[in-house]
Amino acid sequence: MDPEPNNKTASGTGNPKDESTLKAPSKDPKKKDDKKEEDLSEEDLALKHQLELYVERAQDADPGLQKVALESMRQEIRTSTSSMTSVPKPLKFLRPHYGTLKSYYETMADSDLKKLLSDILSVLALTMSAEGDRESLKYRLLGSEGDIGSWGHEYVRNLAGEIAQEYSKRVNEEASVDDLIELVEQIVAFHMKHNAEPEAVDLLMEVEFLDLLVKHVDKTNYKRTCLYLTSSARYLPGPDDMSVLDIAYTIYKQFEEYPSALQIALYLDNMQHVKQVFTSCPDLLRKKQFCYILARQGLSFELDEEMCADDEDREALQEIINNTKLSEGYLTLARDIEVMEPKSPEDIYKAHLLDGRASAGASVDSARQNLAATFVNAFVNAGFGQDKLMTVTSEASSGGSSNWLFKNKDHGKASAAASLGMIDLWDVDTGLAQLDKYFHSNDNHVMAGALLGVGIVNCGIKNDCDPALALLADYLDKEDSSIRIGAITGLGLAYAGTQNEQIRDKLTPILGDPKAPLDVIAFTAIALGLVYVGSCNEEVAQAIIFALMDRSESDLGEPLTRLLPLGLGLLYLGKQDNVEATAEVSKTFNEKIRKYCDMTLLSCAYAGTGNVLKVQHFLGQCAQHFEKGETFQGPAVLGIAMVAMAEELGLDMAIRSLEHLLQYGEQNIRKTVPLALGLLCISNPKVHVMDTLSRLSHDADSEVAMAAVLSLGLIGAGTNNARIAGMLRNLSSYYYKEASLLFCVRIAQGFVHMGKGLLTLAPYHSERFLLSPTALAGLVVLLHACLDMKAIILGKYHYVMYFVVLAMQPRMLLTVNENLKPLSVPVRVGQAVDVVGQAGRPKTITGFQTHSTPVLLAAGDRAELATEKYVPLSPILEGFVILKENPDYREEA
Amino acid sequence: MVITAQLTNTAVQYRYSTYYDSPSPRSFYFGLSVIIHCPFLQANTTTFIFLPLLVPLPLSFDRANNQNLTVIMPTVSVKWQKELYPAVEIDTAQPPYVFKCQLYDLTGVPPERQKIMVKGGILKDDSDWSKLGLKEGQKLMMVGTADEIVQAPEKGPVFMEDLPEEEQVVAVGHSAGLFNLGNTCYMNSTMQCLHSVPELKSALIEYPQSGRSNGLDQSSHLLTVATRDLFNELDKNVKPVAPMQFWMVLRKKYPQFGQLHNGSFMQQDAEECWTQILYTLSQALRSPSTSANLDTVKELFGIDLVSRVHCAESGEESIETESVYSLKCHISHEVNHLHEGLKHGLKSELEKASPSLGRSAVYLKDSHINGLPKYLTIQFVRFFWKRESNQKAKILRKVDYPLELDIFDLCSDDLRKKLEAPRQMLRDEDGRKAGLKLKQKSSASVDNDVKMSDAAEGSSNGSGESSKAALGGGAASDKNAQLTGVYDLVAVLTHKGRSADSGHYVAWVKQENGKWIQFDDDNPIPQREEDIPKLSGGGDWHMAYICMYKARTIPM
Repeated sequence: MDPEPNNKTASGTGNPKDESTLKAPSKDPKKKDDKKEEDLSEEDLALKHQLELYVERAQDADPGLQKVALESMRQEIRTSTSSMTSVPKPLKFLRPHYGTLKSYYETMADSDLKKLLSDILSVLALTMSAEGDRESLKYRLLGSEGDIGSWGHEYVRNLAGEIAQEYSKRVNEEASVDDLIELVEQIVAFHMKHNAEPEAVDLLMEVEFLDLLVKHVDKTNYKRTCLYLTSSARYLPGPDDMSVLDIAYTIYKQFEEYPSALQIALYLDNMQHVKQVFTSCPDLLRKKQFCYILARQGLSFELDEEMCADDEDREALQEIINNTKLSEGYLTLARDIEVMEPKSPEDIYKAHLLDGRASAGASVDSARQNLAATFVNAFVNAGFGQDKLMTVTSEASSGGSSNWLFKNKDHGKASAAASLGMIDLWDVDTGLAQLDKYFHSNDNHVMAGALLGVGIVNCGIKNDCDPALALLADYLDKEDSSIRIGAITGLGLAYAGTQNEQIRDKLTPILGDPKAPLDVIAFTAIALGLVYVGSCNEEVAQAIIFALMDRSESDLGEPLTRLLPLGLGLLYLGKQDNVEATAEVSKTFNEKIRKYCDMTLLSCAYAGTGNVLKVQHFLGQCAQHFEKGETFQGPAVLGIAMVAMAEELGLDMAIRSLEHLLQYGEQNIRKTVPLALGLLCISNPKVHVMDTLSRLSHDADSEVAMAAVLSLGLIGAGTNNARIAGMLRNLSSYYYKEASLLFCVRIAQGFVHMGKGLLTLAPYHSERFLLSPTALAGLVVLLHACLDMKAIILGKYHYVMYFVVLAMQPRMLLTVNENLKPLSVPVRVGQAVDVVGQAGRPKTITGFQTHSTPVLLAAGDRAELATEKYVPLSPILEGFVILKENPDYREEA
Repeated sequence: MVITAQLTNTAVQYRYSTYYDSPSPRSFYFGLSVIIHCPFLQANTTTFIFLPLLVPLPLSFDRANNQNLTVIMPTVSVKWQKELYPAVEIDTAQPPYVFKCQLYDLTGVPPERQKIMVKGGILKDDSDWSKLGLKEGQKLMMVGTADEIVQAPEKGPVFMEDLPEEEQVVAVGHSAGLFNLGNTCYMNSTMQCLHSVPELKSALIEYPQSGRSNGLDQSSHLLTVATRDLFNELDKNVKPVAPMQFWMVLRKKYPQFGQLHNGSFMQQDAEECWTQILYTLSQALRSPSTSANLDTVKELFGIDLVSRVHCAESGEESIETESVYSLKCHISHEVNHLHEGLKHGLKSELEKASPSLGRSAVYLKDSHINGLPKYLTIQFVRFFWKRESNQKAKILRKVDYPLELDIFDLCSDDLRKKLEAPRQMLRDEDGRKAGLKLKQKSSASVDNDVKMSDAAEGSSNGSGESSKAALGGGAASDKNAQLTGVYDLVAVLTHKGRSADSGHYVAWVKQENGKWIQFDDDNPIPQREEDIPKLSGGGDWHMAYICMYKARTIPM
């Protein structure tokens, strides 16, 4: 029995749970009923006659008799219990009399009795009313407005549906909806009480009155409600999704579920909300957990006194946001998994597993292969601080490090020097010390590499001393353009997402410099785009737009020019409509770049939104066939991936659509499709995508093959996936004679074994809910560079590959104790299960294994604590999670 | 003034001693020049005064002089790499350079390499402390390395991409392919096989352009020159070569290769091409003047056979000797292995007029090898003339052949005797290698192994001496290397298809680095050694048609 103490509408005593009032198919022919009358059991026959009598009496002139008849009728309906699959008997027997009662109702004078009849008619309409008549609702509104639940779930559900229809009709007619809202409130209260949160939310969304929800959530149902809200937000058109999430945020905050509230605040990119979370939570330890969440998002966020009064505490919190301990945590994980031993590129290539082909003739160094080895070495040993090529001490192998550096040719040396930054990733102190010696080199390429390395090592890490800015600022105006690019790119990487004004002041003049070469300007635009990613900053946008307008006709045809619109696009990453003004301006550009710019802006602005209309728009662009190579379809194809990567359903649809493009698209589309697939499944090696890419990697068109090979690396990035590794190994022997393809194969091998399998490139985190804009920006820059592989990656700008550093994150769960020291506890890790809208407390993971932390999490994995001893301070066990001792824990005997 | 000087004095002294060993004397001058202005130090420093820098210095020192006693010295902590130096006092009266010197004492990073992060960039040597807004207890970060600065090596590495094309050959590890000029794969594969014989190459290089007066006809001369040029081309290039000239000359010399069928050149028998080219070369490379080098081709490829011709009917018996360029491996139903085929090929029946019987009789010819070449060519007799279909049909039977061939039992008794000693040495050598390996493997039985290998060495020495003695007078051993009757496979010419005039010829050649390359016309493909013996036939895959073995020799 459900006690319903505070329900103002409660008047009935019936228990809706005992009533089952499932609707039978309304087309059930009446005739059948009549014929069957003879077959009825005696009991039923008696009931039938009884009801017929009631119907007759209800039309009696005597109000007393009427009342008794109606009440008896109501009683029969309410108390009837029948199986879930059939119409309850009283309803069934009353069906033939629906018309009679209806016509009698019209003749009745207003009275309580009329209301009573109205209620009954409303219930009868459940099975009788014609589609679209909404008679149930009509009679309900005319009725006694008694406890809605007393008529059962099915009645309420039907009513809710009719309300939704009626509401949209009335809104169209601009009629009042107050009476409906009143009813809605009743229904919502009923649903929320009875574990039907999704229905309540759906109804409120239909009538656009979600605020009402806040009143009805309580401790028992807020989690399910919010879960439904957040996951349905993905499928709602803007701005509804924002308001839905806003409600979820409010509810979470109301129930002090701050980490979840913070996540929604981050999703909304609403700094005001983030601040509120900090100010409303009094617990320092929980604040520390918030800081870890902020750090993972890659947000630069300054705490003020309001958020944390104590200076010392604030400093500690700020340190977490600044990611200063990331390197330490990562190395803890590495030590725990025992992968500290540095790996050489040969360990990755595993040439001994191949037949004699690949190793043929290694007597002379090949600059391209050495460059590939440099990258592989950098990616594989990323963040470990030691490797077998660059950091080996000079005693060990007669000047080892310098030797390897100088085994690279010209601009290859830049990538080699920068690789030190990658090896010491996140460890600013060591990294800068390692890089410092190259600052004194007289080789411009080495210098440029060292500058870039400073940026890489600082990527995602903030430091009060601002070493990157201090070190790089002096080199921005150097004569040599490679040094300039090194410094500019370094700044872009180190300060991505910070919106640092100093950097803007330093970089914007370069854009306007008429003497600056195109490549310097292109990389400046990218750097600014990264620093101001998703900020919609007007000034930066203006500067890039002017730079674009100033380009000469011939410049616009250069492969690197594509980075300018991209820089512009990054400013609006994920900001949807905000891009419109700039998109308008872009229509005035030279026609050579206009369309390209348009596509790039659009794809960036709607990246990670899952907006189906935009996906359709891009698909439409790709359906056009051009005689000669139009370039704008490249960003359009990438745009499909960028927009659709938001959620699983759209992602699968996008993968299928891309298959179609492969079949029917022109070469310029086909060569981009693998890249789009790579972005969709980044660090998530889905088998069917792997197969598609494997097929494309043998494509007759070398550009398609190159893109496919690189994408194989991207989808397997940081997973050590044995199947992809095997594919790439075979490709390395297949393409042993084609230097460019072999280079791509090597890079892909480096990607797959990135961080020896401890890293991920996925920009989505926190159970695929949050998107790190800087991570996505880094990937998008790389992919756009890959649109013209020959000129950029295989040319002299191969260091754009280092832009992936923005997306690199350890794919770990590291539990720490209250002093933030690593704490090993047992956890269950398994495939995440979607539990949205499921009643009760369903299992959230399946096929799990128990490990002790720190553990690696694969794509789609979810972890849960396997001990009651501790309580995690974040509901999502990813990255750094603080554990608090459970006060209620009792050691089991 | 005095206080300041004394304070810095220690630093200067220290610096003096350390800088003295500094590899770059320039930094020494700089380092000192800040402070040497102090009068009482002049005794030490007169030789180091560095005028240009001295000019701005008095200013700062004057200021120091005036303010020194009142200035507070903030303490900061300095972070360098992983270390933190907690309480470093900054004398704000002094230029930052002095602070850097302090840090030099602590960290060992030379001041000019120190980069100290302060607000708004890097601390400059001449910046003003007061403008930096230094706070007590502030954390400073210093970047710099005490390590040696990396110098570019004087000689950069040579990259394959930079090499001229002919040098890339070495890097690629195999020579170029040959374009197919229209059914010329038989010629291409033949030339690739012959090209793998370095001795032939060197002999060709010596061949004079002008030709010789040994009665060689013009077309043979031209063919020889074309062969030389083609080999040269192959060695020089990485990219495939089109053997135009050679092809023209070959057709001129041997018009049968120029046969046309439906307007295009016909596929030919590679064996025929092989034989003809070798014949021409043997003619051309025969030098009439020098007696020592009689016939290069014969020396390289010639096989001396001694045959006993026996007539069972009459009991007649005669000994014949002949010289051939290749052994035939006859394929019949009993033949499963090259060895059997060779034996088969050395025995033949022939019918000839018997002088004693006065009519023709069946003679049995039983041949043995009497002289071994450096390169043993073996032809699988896979084609036979099929009268009914009027074409050269092919026997697809699988005939295994080894990577290492021992033909000792095909040799005549004389030759066997001669081979015995080198073979013994070869065995000893192998034994020694095995023994050594054993020694490395098991440390427990070291003593035994040592004895064994000692013994082996002893015996090999002994036999070596004896064989030397035995062969000392032998005129044949004009070279140090002795043949052993053991041969290693170096090239295989395969045919794929059902008849000699169709299908495809491919050469599989072992390179000097031990790698096998399949030369499929213009496309050289690396192959594994294990796959080479799989070309033995029995299907529609490439099957060996001609095998070339190289003699394993032993130095005497």
